[in-house]
Amino acid sequence: MPEATVTANFDVYRYDPATDAAPRYQRYTLQLAPHTPVLTGLLRIRDELDPTLTLRYSCRSAICGSCAMLVNSKSRLACQTPVGPEIEQHGRIVIDPMRNLPVLRDLVVEMTTFWSKYSRIEPHLIDDPAHPMPVGRETTMSPAQVERFKETPRCIACGACYSACPAVEADAEFPGPMALAKLYRFVVDPRDGARRERLVKIQTEGLWLCLRCHLCTEACPKDVQPSQRIRDLKEMAVAVQGGTEPGSRHAIGFKDNIRSTGTLNEMKLVRQTSGLLGMVAQAPQGIKLSRKKPEILHAPKKIEGQEELEKLYELLDDAPPKEEP
Amino acid sequence: MRLAYYPGCVAQESGKELDMATRWVAKKVGLELVGFPNFSCCGSGFVDEANSTLNTAMNARNLAIAEKAGLDILTVCSTCTGMLSLANHQLKDPKVRARVDGALSQIGVAYSGKTRVKHLLEVLTKEIGTERIRALVTRPLKGLKVGAFYGCHLLRPSAELGSESAEEPHSFEDLIAALGAEPVMYRGRVMCCGFPILFVKEATANRIAATQIQDAKAHGAHAMATPCPLCHISLDSFQNKAEKQAGHDLDMPIFHLPQLVGLALGATPEELGLPRHMVATDSALARIGQVAVPA
Repeated sequence: MPEATVTANFDVYRYDPATDAAPRYQRYTLQLAPHTPVLTGLLRIRDELDPTLTLRYSCRSAICGSCAMLVNSKSRLACQTPVGPEIEQHGRIVIDPMRNLPVLRDLVVEMTTFWSKYSRIEPHLIDDPAHPMPVGRETTMSPAQVERFKETPRCIACGACYSACPAVEADAEFPGPMALAKLYRFVVDPRDGARRERLVKIQTEGLWLCLRCHLCTEACPKDVQPSQRIRDLKEMAVAVQGGTEPGSRHAIGFKDNIRSTGTLNEMKLVRQTSGLLGMVAQAPQGIKLSRKKPEILHAPKKIEGQEELEKLYELLDDAPPKEEP
Repeated sequence: MRLAYYPGCVAQESGKELDMATRWVAKKVGLELVGFPNFSCCGSGFVDEANSTLNTAMNARNLAIAEKAGLDILTVCSTCTGMLSLANHQLKDPKVRARVDGALSQIGVAYSGKTRVKHLLEVLTKEIGTERIRALVTRPLKGLKVGAFYGCHLLRPSAELGSESAEEPHSFEDLIAALGAEPVMYRGRVMCCGFPILFVKEATANRIAATQIQDAKAHGAHAMATPCPLCHISLDSFQNKAEKQAGHDLDMPIFHLPQLVGLALGATPEELGLPRHMVATDSALARIGQVAVPA
């Protein structure tokens, strides 16, 4: 018995910068089984209805990472997204190219920036001359060392995280979740000889622009969890170098800020992060705010049991354990 | 319903209006808020970046305080919700658990992992129920179009939170509709407000805030509402700077979630601390027939 089908209305982004004044959406209708991948639908559109539809794809099995695009506004692999739930939830399937990268034509984006940011993190093992890798035999790793990679080796560089990232959207300096997740993968690799140099370098190359909004983690089709690994990179950078950048100063400043009272002193935090000069720069805004919110000028009162908190700091922060395995 | 009230730092300081509104609404809907003067800051995500074990231990201490009293925690901040929930999640890792338990035992604290962390949005929509809220409305917010702005840490990472769909949530819109206002759907509602880098790279943070406000406006919002006081700082306290990045006025009133609820349930703007906002809420209040607040 043939499987029941549903009517799938695709509204597909069409744009050829060479000939079109503006992008438009084109409606295509197919009868599809609910489990049919969005990519299969798009290929049927191209093969049966409109040979001009342009898209990137290859393996159709969520391995190559070519078919990342927006499916009803969410960054997805088209080959991994069935049409049924999309139709159920949205009544139609709106397809757009990935965000944060310029459109070459229809669903194909120009990925040069994405790849050059990846190259910048030096995605290869760097030999440490003092501890060269063995020649002629394998380098073995302990299970504990392998565990430190977490899910990062799964990354297929599809760009879904980059497309979903608001920091990429707002600031060209941010390397993006994929590049940073890859960086993590080399930082924890016991064969790599440039761990410290990598962490020092990334502190000034956008690490602290991550918003920890976790949109990348939700978008990732491989559960790489880039936002959590970026968080780990920040903690490792703080451990090797301390607060050298506004971002790391802010994290350390915040931690030290709440130690003495258990609660945040907003004014003091500005000084810890921005220094005295920064305080001066922030003063006009601070004065404006204080007219409506006078509390920002006063130190908050100490919580009860602050001494318990102090003890936790003594135990876990004053003498942190060596983080290298 | 009794809950351990965890206001967080901002609602006790620059965002005191959030605390005022929360207390007003709690009374009206029959929520008993139990205060604990020994709760500490949640670390706001920053302590986690500097020292994750310390962060987990600090929050385990907070969770333990509520557990000892046999109460779940009520939060009014997306970030506090995220950080306390993160601690519950981290403590499932036996290695983290061992280190944190070791430190907690030295201050005479034990935490078994029972405390649930519930944001006011979840309590109002799921536990009290949207229908019950609708029945309590005395002043429907008719004619007001409101863009809900969830705040990242209420939704994501979904593996640690999961009270509703991270990508297509709807509880806030359901609540806005129950209050008689019209919810506005826009992409920015689940995006970031820019706050985490406000003190790292201000212009970028302001630009992100401007993007979300402009998006809400383009979809017809007269006002936005947020369950997170940090989003409120970025969207309201620094809206003047977001305007500089946008290159034009934004004039978007930003309500704290319980302020919007309070308005519909009959509170005055003063009771809800609306005059404390940096962006006047007059234009929104005028639409629902409220006396405008003096500037």
